[in-house]
This record gives sequence, structure tokens and C-alpha cells, in this order.
Amino acid sequence: MDMSKYKAMFLSEAREHLQKMANLLVEVEAEPQNRNGIDALFREAHSIKGMAASMSYQQTAALAHHLEDSLDLFRQQGEITAEAIDHLLAGVDLIALLLEDIDGGREERSVANFCDGQLTPEEDSTEISQEVIQPSAEAERQIRLQLHAEVPSSAARLLVISKELAGFGRVLRSEPSEEQILRGGNERRLVVVIQTHLDDTEIKSRLANYSEISRVEIGSPQAKAAVASVPGGATVRVDTDLLDRFIGLTGELITNRYMLQSAAGEKNWDALREGLASLGRLVKDLHHQVLKVRMMPIDSVTARLPRLVRDLARRSKKDIRFELEGNRIELDRAILEELADPLTHMIRNAIDHGIDERGTITVRAWRQRDQVMLQVADDGRGMDPAVLRQRAVEKGLISPAQAEVMRDYDVLQLVCLPGFSTASQLTDTSGRGVGMDVVKAAVEKLGGVLHIDAAPGRGTRFTLKLPLSVAIIKVLLLNVDNKQVALPITRVLQTIEIERSQIQTSGKQRVFSFHEELLPLISLRKILNLPIPRAVERVAVVVTEVLGRKIGVVVDYFAGQREVFVQGLPSPIDRLRGLSGGTILGDGRVVFILDIQGLLERKR
Amino acid sequence: MAQRVLIVDDALFMRNLLRDLFSAAGWDVVGTAADGNEALLKYRDLRPNLVTMDIVMPERSGLEALQDILAIDPDAVVIMCSALGQESMVLEAIQNGAKDFIVKPFQKEQVLEVVNRVLG
Repeated sequence: MDMSKYKAMFLSEAREHLQKMANLLVEVEAEPQNRNGIDALFREAHSIKGMAASMSYQQTAALAHHLEDSLDLFRQQGEITAEAIDHLLAGVDLIALLLEDIDGGREERSVANFCDGQLTPEEDSTEISQEVIQPSAEAERQIRLQLHAEVPSSAARLLVISKELAGFGRVLRSEPSEEQILRGGNERRLVVVIQTHLDDTEIKSRLANYSEISRVEIGSPQAKAAVASVPGGATVRVDTDLLDRFIGLTGELITNRYMLQSAAGEKNWDALREGLASLGRLVKDLHHQVLKVRMMPIDSVTARLPRLVRDLARRSKKDIRFELEGNRIELDRAILEELADPLTHMIRNAIDHGIDERGTITVRAWRQRDQVMLQVADDGRGMDPAVLRQRAVEKGLISPAQAEVMRDYDVLQLVCLPGFSTASQLTDTSGRGVGMDVVKAAVEKLGGVLHIDAAPGRGTRFTLKLPLSVAIIKVLLLNVDNKQVALPITRVLQTIEIERSQIQTSGKQRVFSFHEELLPLISLRKILNLPIPRAVERVAVVVTEVLGRKIGVVVDYFAGQREVFVQGLPSPIDRLRGLSGGTILGDGRVVFILDIQGLLERKR
Repeated sequence: MAQRVLIVDDALFMRNLLRDLFSAAGWDVVGTAADGNEALLKYRDLRPNLVTMDIVMPERSGLEALQDILAIDPDAVVIMCSALGQESMVLEAIQNGAKDFIVKPFQKEQVLEVVNRVLG
């Protein structure tokens, strides 16, 4: 029987079981006599073993069997030891590597050493991959590496490393490719095949300078499947009801098309209008349903947190309990992806600065009308508004008079100002405030709001209020009078620069020739009532369409294209005609999205 | 001889923080600049071994200043200082020739690891 078609399903399920195992291990570590936890661990290992064996993945099955055996022992003893937890977690990590091997179509690495010698996977993999090669001869080497889960800006880090690797020799293949890395995202793995004269030890020692790398493996490249496939993040599971709905909508669109076709053929304007109206409804419905596909449960980002907290707590030698609530709440994929870094950041803050020796961190999510609330709370030392007031005045962020009248709540929000820190020593580590400005910026970019709530000795709560879904569009940024505004790319027919001499006058209207058509030329400065500067030699023009007519809009210059999260404007700004929304750029600037048609109508 | 560094950031707080950090590690902070224009002038006059460059600054941004500096000295070692959510700009900077980057909030060890690595 051909099992290959089950591979993807096996991988996705096995990864879910592994994630559960990792979280259970962290739970059981806090409570070594947790019978139910140990039983559940045993069952997870057992499931992985069964699945792997039926797929004939021998090494994975052997390792799962090994873990199952040790867990069975602890099940009988009714307790699990601390060293055993480390070993079991190492085993979980090693299974994750085996799954990657399977995913990449390679032979599974051997697990014999791990099962016999209680080695950690790092030591294990070094041993396997270090084959002897001639030092000076050029050889093709495949380098696989992975970044730590908490490394920020992972794409940029991968780019730096990939440039470093390019310095080792000639890059033959790279996955993700440099272009893929440049698009950003949360990729943490890199597989590169290079032709190099460096030996493996030399490559390893050069990469050892990057503490961001959690794991490096070097080996001979295998034929075609050498480069790993894109990890599971790019696929989604979709409810079959939703798929049925899509099929239904497609059917309605086809019917609609025939209706429009015959109406146009008969020049039956009433029927055409009716057809267009129903097309409008269908498209709106389709858009709505597509957005639903983008929704994912929040545990796609929170599931890794128990392990993160455990590792960070261990490193800082603190005793920290971690609770997760509401992890089935759904949010748009794009929002979830952006939340990973801020969440890590707030948790690290809580461990570094909130909690002294022991305490609890709670991450909870819940729905509140059409918004999702996400809260990171600790029961640590909290923050004292009186201290913050004093510090804000010292730093010149507010005046003493302002400090007097500010409410405690507003004072707490000051920690989000860049450069505000509550840590007593500025140089030793992050300091609570230094990073909160970037968390706040990340949340606002998504159209969310960040609230901070704290009292001395009673812990700190960071609450993120997030929209359920986002509209991401590509815009053209335009500069007028040193202000930036944006125009959706879909509204831009072309951008051109024309010489002053190409501009003609027709009556009172200035026009220019565009593909043998005379288009009216309208100055964005004039529409927006901005000062008109002296004439320049060349003018930047956006060709767009208003009410079916092409026009040229003169701007100062084009400032590039961006993908942005569009946010609706709050009242009363939403009543202004000519603005269809707003967005916040990466650097915190607010940019309005123009509706040229609305602007011109306002002008009339 | 101690390594010579130029710190570019529009926030006085960050300049001081980095200055203290480098001084404590035995480096010579030869200058600081508060915007991209000043950065280029200082670089031309001081020729430091290393520049730490904030990305978002008034007047000329860090991305622009990076290109200005590389135009007068293609071997310049420039490290970008970014915040969460500025990844696309960091990617652009590295593509344009920045050697590495650090992410605010800084951990002292991380900053030193990065600078020692690029000066290798």
C-alpha cells in the first residue's frame, strides 16, 4: 500500500501530539506527582509510537517507544524525577528533528545513542553528522540550522546568517531563499547547500559566534530532497462547511455571470443593474467567508509559551507557574503572526522584572463583542504610580504640574514612552519600559490598543484589545508638503513623471497627454488646501480613475509601496469625506488612505 | 588599541545607554550623532571602526545614512538598532550592506556578541 499520501497527515498530527507532550512535561515538572499528567504523557507517546510504526518510520517509532517505556515506569512509581523531565524534553526535541527529516524526504537520523546513552539531541546529532572530509578540497556541504524560539526579527537574523554562509563559499541552494527571507515572516530554519573548502569543524566554529542559533547540523547534501520543504505554517485546516459555502458561492457567481451576459446582449438595463447589485452582494459575501478562512485559534501562538516560560524561568533561577486560558479563541492569521514577538517580550519582562523569586504568569484570551482581549498578567511586585510619576518628571517627559493632575492609570501608560524604564540599573538588562514602547507600537499597528494596569505589590496586567480580523492592502505612499498619504494600489493605474513642457491648458483645466488621451491634471496640494510651491521642472503624477474617467493627480513625490493593515477611522473623523481609512506605519507614523473620488466631491 | 565606535540615535537616552555599555566594555566612543545628516559628517571626520545606527530618526533616516556612509566608505561596519515591528526595514538595511543588527531592548551581552562578531 502506498503510504506517502498519509505523510502530511501523519506529520501534522505527530506535531500536535509533540506540542501536547512538551506542555504536559512542563506541567508535570511543576507537580511531579500529577498522576493524570503522567498518564496523559504516556498516552501521547503511545499515539506517536503507533502512528510512526504503521508508517514504518522506524527511528521515530523506536524513540517514541523508548519515551513510552520510561513514562510507564514513572506511571508505576506515581512520580517523575527532575532529571527525567530534561531527558524526556530532549526526547521530544529529537522527535521534532526526526519529523523534519521525514518531512524533507531524508532518511531518519539514528536514535540509538539517545535511547542507550541518555544523550541530549545536540550531542547526538553532532556525532552523526560529523563525517570525515578532506580539509582543503572543495566539497558540497549542507548546513541546516535553527534559531531559538525567542530570537526577535528572525527573518533579519536568517538574512545576516545567510550572508555569512555565502562568505564561506558558493551557495548552491538555500531554503528559504534570500528572496523568501526578504519577504519577512516567522521562519526560524535555514537549510543551505554550499560549495566550500572549509571543513565542518571550521563551519561549526564560525557559526558558534551566533548565540541566536539553537542547533546546527552539517552533512552531505542528499539528491533532490536535500532542502527541507516549507514547514507546516503555510497550510491551514478549513472547516468543510466553509468549503461547501465557497462552492455554493461559486455556483451563484456562475449563474450571475450568465444573467449579466444575457442582460448585456439584450441591452436590458434594468436586468443589468439588478445583476450588478447581486454581484455586489455575492462579492461581499465571498470576502466575508474568505476572511473566516484566515481565522486561527490563538493557541497557534500560545502553545509554545509553557516551554518558553520554563526555559526562561530556569535561566533566571525563579520559580514560575504558568497558566493559559481561552486558547480556542480565534483571530486572524496575520494578527497572530504579529503577536508572537510582543507576547514573548511581555513574558520575558514579567519574568525579569515583575516576579522576584516565585510567582504566576497568566496569559488569557477572551472575546468581548467584536474584539479579542489578550492579557498577560503576573502577580509580582507591580509598579508604583508615585515612583513612575517622579521618574517621568526627572526625565522631562511630563511637567511636575502634569504629574500632579494625572490619574494613576494614565501614569502607568507612561512606561510605553520610548526611553522610560523602571529598572533601577539601566545598563544591566531591558528595563520594563524600554521594550514596552515597541510592544505598544506592534499592537497599534494591528489596530489594537494596549492597557496597563498595576499596583505596587499586586502584580502587573498588560491587556491587548485586538480586532478580530484585519484588512491588509497594498498601498502607494505619496508625499505632499512633507506629509505622507496613501492610495490603495488597486486605485493606481500608473505612476509617471512628466516634464513641465508636456502640460497643456484646455480652458481653465490643465491637461496632459497620456497614451494619446488628454487627461485632466489635478494637484493634490490644491485639493488638500496646502500651499502651492513654485513651479518645478518635473512633476510626479499618479494616474487613477474617478467615476470611470482617468485623471492625473500631481503629488510631490512617490514614497514607495507598502502592505498595510487598514483601520477604520473613529468618530468623528469618519465623517470626513475623502478618507477611506488610516494605517500606522512600522515607525509609528499615522497615514491616511485617500479616497480621491470623495475628495473631489468634497471640493465641489 | 581600543576599538572606536560612533553611536547614532535620536534619543539621548539610547545614546547614553550605548555609550555606557561600550565604555564599560573598554571601547572608545569617539562620537555620537542624533540624526542621519550628523552621522555622515561625524563618520567622515572620525572614521570609526564601528557605527551603531538607529533606524527611525528625523531628518535623514538610518537607512539613508547607511547608504551615505557606505558611499564614502564601502568597508564601513554599520550595525542597525531596530525595534520590534521594524523587521522590513532591518531586512532592507542588511540587503543594502549593514553588517548586523541589534533589537531593542538591548541585552548587554547580545550587543557585545554582535559587535565582536562583526569586527571578528
